[in-house]
Amino acid sequence: MKLSLTPKLSTFLKPSLASTPLRRSLCSSSPSPPPPPISLKPQTPLFLRPPIHSATSSDLQQWQDWAKTLASSVGSTFANSDNGPDSTLLLRELNWLVDDAVQQGIENGQRKIRLRVSLEELYLLWKQRIEERKPFQYIVGCEHWRELVLCVQEGVLIPRPETELIVDLVGDVVKGEEGLREGLWADLGTGSGAIAIGIARVLGTGGGRVIATDLSPTAISVAGFNVERYGLQDVVELRKGSWFDPLKDVEGKLAGFVSNPPYIPSDNISGLQAEVGRHEPRVALDGGVDGMDDLLHLCKGAASILKPGGFFAFETNGEKQCKYLVEYMENEARGSFCNLSIIPDFAGIHRFVTGFHK
Amino acid sequence: MSSFLFRKRASSSRCWGVLCRNPKAESQFGNLNKPPKPQNVTCAVEIPRILDPGSSSFSPKTSKTLSGSLQNIKNLIASGESFGLSSNLGVPVVKSLCGFHGGIATCSLVRFYGAQAAQEPSTADGLTVDRILNSEWSIMAEDESDWKSHAAAIAQSVHLIKKRLQWKKLLVRLDMLSVELNKPDLWNDPVHAGKISREHGSLMGKMKEVKAFEQELLEHVDMIKLAREENDAELESESMKALLEMRRTSKEKETQALLAGEQDPCSCYIEVQSGAGGTESNDWAAMVMQMYKMWAQRHGYKMTVVDEMPGEIAGIKRATIKVDGEYAFGYAKAEVGVHRLVRISPFDSNKRRHTSFAAVAVTPILGDVSAHVQINESDLRIERFRSGGSGGQHANTTDSAVRIVHIPTGITATCQNERSQHQNKASAMAVIQARVDQLEMARQTQKNAQYSQSLTDITWGSQIRSYVLQPYRMVKDLRTNYEVSDPDSVLEGDLDGFILSYLSASLDKDEDDR
Ligand SMILES: C[S@@+](CC[C@H](N)C(=O)[O-])C[C@H]1O[C@@H](n2cnc3c(N)ncnc32)[C@H](O)[C@@H]1O
Repeated sequence: MKLSLTPKLSTFLKPSLASTPLRRSLCSSSPSPPPPPISLKPQTPLFLRPPIHSATSSDLQQWQDWAKTLASSVGSTFANSDNGPDSTLLLRELNWLVDDAVQQGIENGQRKIRLRVSLEELYLLWKQRIEERKPFQYIVGCEHWRELVLCVQEGVLIPRPETELIVDLVGDVVKGEEGLREGLWADLGTGSGAIAIGIARVLGTGGGRVIATDLSPTAISVAGFNVERYGLQDVVELRKGSWFDPLKDVEGKLAGFVSNPPYIPSDNISGLQAEVGRHEPRVALDGGVDGMDDLLHLCKGAASILKPGGFFAFETNGEKQCKYLVEYMENEARGSFCNLSIIPDFAGIHRFVTGFHK
Repeated sequence: MSSFLFRKRASSSRCWGVLCRNPKAESQFGNLNKPPKPQNVTCAVEIPRILDPGSSSFSPKTSKTLSGSLQNIKNLIASGESFGLSSNLGVPVVKSLCGFHGGIATCSLVRFYGAQAAQEPSTADGLTVDRILNSEWSIMAEDESDWKSHAAAIAQSVHLIKKRLQWKKLLVRLDMLSVELNKPDLWNDPVHAGKISREHGSLMGKMKEVKAFEQELLEHVDMIKLAREENDAELESESMKALLEMRRTSKEKETQALLAGEQDPCSCYIEVQSGAGGTESNDWAAMVMQMYKMWAQRHGYKMTVVDEMPGEIAGIKRATIKVDGEYAFGYAKAEVGVHRLVRISPFDSNKRRHTSFAAVAVTPILGDVSAHVQINESDLRIERFRSGGSGGQHANTTDSAVRIVHIPTGITATCQNERSQHQNKASAMAVIQARVDQLEMARQTQKNAQYSQSLTDITWGSQIRSYVLQPYRMVKDLRTNYEVSDPDSVLEGDLDGFILSYLSASLDKDEDDR
C-alpha cells in the first residue's frame, strides 16, 4: 500500500529536524530592520573588479594559447568519467573568462591591455578550472542566470538553468492575480538569492515582497550582495535560519513560497561530477537517504505557512520524487491542497511540483 | 526680384495645388474632409492632429522655396534628404492617422490620396524632368559649369531612382492602398489596417521625396533662367552651385534607392549551412561565415554569433549570426543562395581538386513589433539541447543551449552562445519569430505578386557565386557576371561590389518600368 511511506518518512525527517534547533536560536533574525548584519564580505566577481592590471597583447595571447591547449587536452575525458565538460565547452568558457577579465573597448591601438586580474592569476585560475575541476562560475565569481548576473563563490550553490523555470511558474501564476502578485512570498534556501530576485522582478512594483532564507551565512551574505546589486533591498528581505523557523511571524500569510532544497540522495554525493561534488557545499545538495528529507519537511509545513489560495513550487530530483510528493500531498495532507501538478524541465525531466493551498 | 517671386508662386501653386502647399489650400483640404459631426470624442481630438502633420509634412520645405530665398534652397539641399532613408515626408501623416495610437474611428474620417494626387512638376516655361531627359543634353564632367549638363545628369539619376523604386508599380500600389484606406470598414480589422496604412505611409514618403527632388531641380533651372534674363551673376552662380550639389546628392540617392524595400533597413540573421561533402564542405562553410563576419565588421555592424554547430574535424556544419545595424538586411539579402568553392583541399592528402557548397539564408528582423506574427506558446516545443544525466543539482555546466521548434511550420532554432538558458531561449525565440515573420511575408508576397518582387522570397535556390582558388583565382557572381580576380579580398569581407552590382542588376533590369 502507498501508506507504507509513512514510517520511512518519519525516520528521515528526524535528522534535519534534529539538526536545526541549535542553529536556529542563533540565526533567526527579527523581521526588521533588514538586512541582518552581514559579517562575511562576499568576494567581488571578476567582471566587477577595477581594471588595475595590465598585460601586453602578446603576453595575453600567450596565456590564451596555453589555456586553449590545456582545454583541448581534456578532450572528452571528463565527459566520459563523470559527465563533466568537454573541450568545446571549456574553450567557450575560456572566451567568457576573457570577456570578464579583459576591459573591453579600449584595446584599439593600445599595446597594453587592461585586465581586472593579473596575468599570473589568470594562469592560476585556468589551472584550477582544468586540474582541480573548479566550476567556471567560481572562477569568474558569477553565474548568468535568466537575465541576471549573480555573484557566486565557494560555499554557495551555483544556480542551475533548470531552476530558472520556477520564476516563470511564479510569473504565470501572478499574471492577472493581484492578490498573489501584491502579496508576500518566500524563497526557502535561497543560496545566491537567484529565485528570490527573479520573483521580486516578476512581482514588479505592485507592493509584493519576498522573504529569502538560508541556513548558510555565506549564502545569506552573497544573496544580500546580489539583492543590493539589483536594487531590491526594499523588496527582498533576507533571514537566516532553518526552513520555516525564521518565518514564524508570517505563518498563514504567504501568497506563495518556493524552494529548491537539497534533494540528492546521500549515497549519490560521492559519485557526483567533480565540479559539484568537490566544490559545491554539501549542505546545499544532500537531501538525506532518499534525498527527500527537506522536501518532505517543506511539504509538511506548506499548509500552515500559506494563506488560502497561496501557491507553492518545489524543485525535485526527478520523476520519482515528484510522484512521491504529489502522493504525499494528496494522501497525508488530504484536503489542504488543490491543482497539484508535476512540471518537466526543458530536458523533459519531471522537475517541479506545484500546487495551491485551498 | 518681385517678378521672380510672383512667378515662382504662380508656377508652384500650379504644380502642387492638389497637394495643398499653401495655407489656403491646406484649410480647404481640412474643410473638405471634416465630417459634418465628429462621431465620438476621439475624432474630435484627433482631427486637428491629423490634418496638421498631414499637410505640413511636406509643405515647410516647399513653402520655403516659394519665397525664392536661395539660402533656404541651399539648406534644403544641404540637409540631404534621401529616399527611403529619412522618409519623414508623409510617414508621420499616416502614423498619427492610423498608427495604433491613432484610434480606429478617426481614420475613416480622413481621405487618403493615392499617386494621382501628384501632378508632374514643371518649370515656369513648361520644362519637366522627362523633357530634360529626352532632350539628350550632353552630360559633362562635374567641374564643367554648365547647367544643362548638371540638369541632365540629375534627370538621369531621377530616372534611375524611379526605376529602382519601380515607379509605375509604386504608383499603382499607392492608388490601391488609398482605395483600401478609404474603405469605411477598414478598421474592422485593425491589424490589416495597420499594415496597409504603414505601407501607404512608406510608399507615399518615397513618392513625395522623388517629387520634391524633381521639383527642386526645376526650381533651380527656373532660377538660372531668370538670373540670365536679369543679368544677376550672383544668383546664377548660386543656382549653379546648388545644381552641382544636387548632382552629387543624386548619386547617393541612387545607391539608397537600391535599398528601398520595406525590410531593407532591418537588422538580420545570416545563416550558413555546409553542403554535402564532410570536412572540406564544413571548412568552406566556416570560410563563408568568416567572410560575413568580416563584412559586418567593415560596415560597423554589431555581430553576434547565435548558433554554431562545429564540424567533427574542422569548420562548421551550420552557424547563425545576428547582424545589427541599419540596412544590414538590405545588403545581406543579396547573398542568399548557394556559394561554390573550387580548390585543392587541404584535407585531401592526395591534393586533389574539390568542389564544395555552402548555402546562405538571410532573415530580416522586423523592427516594428506590431508587424510580428503572433506566436502561440502552445505551438512551441522547447528543448534543452545536448542534455544528459539527471541534471538539476547533479550537474554543473555552462552549457545551456536551447532548441525551439515551432510545430506548425517546423521552423527550428538553436542558440547556445548566451551564458544563461533564459537568454539562449530568448535568442532562439527571436530567430523563430523572424523566420515565422519571413514565412508570412513570403506568403503575402505571393498574394501581391504583381507588386512585390522576388527579393523577399528567400529560397536556398541555385548557385549564385563561384569562388575558384585553383587552378586559377577568381570569384564570379553567376547572376550578374560581376567578377574579381582576388578571392582573398572577397573572403576577407570585401563584398560590396558583388552586393551592389546584384542589387542594381535586379532592380534595373526592367527596361521600361517607370
Ligand atoms: C540546492 S540549494 C538552492 C539554492 C538556490 N535556491 C538556488 O536554487 O540556486 C539549497 C539551499 O538550501 C540551503 N539549506 C540547506 N539546508 C537548509 C535548512 N535547513 N534551512 C534553510 N536553508 C537550507 C542551502 O544552504 C542551499 O543554499
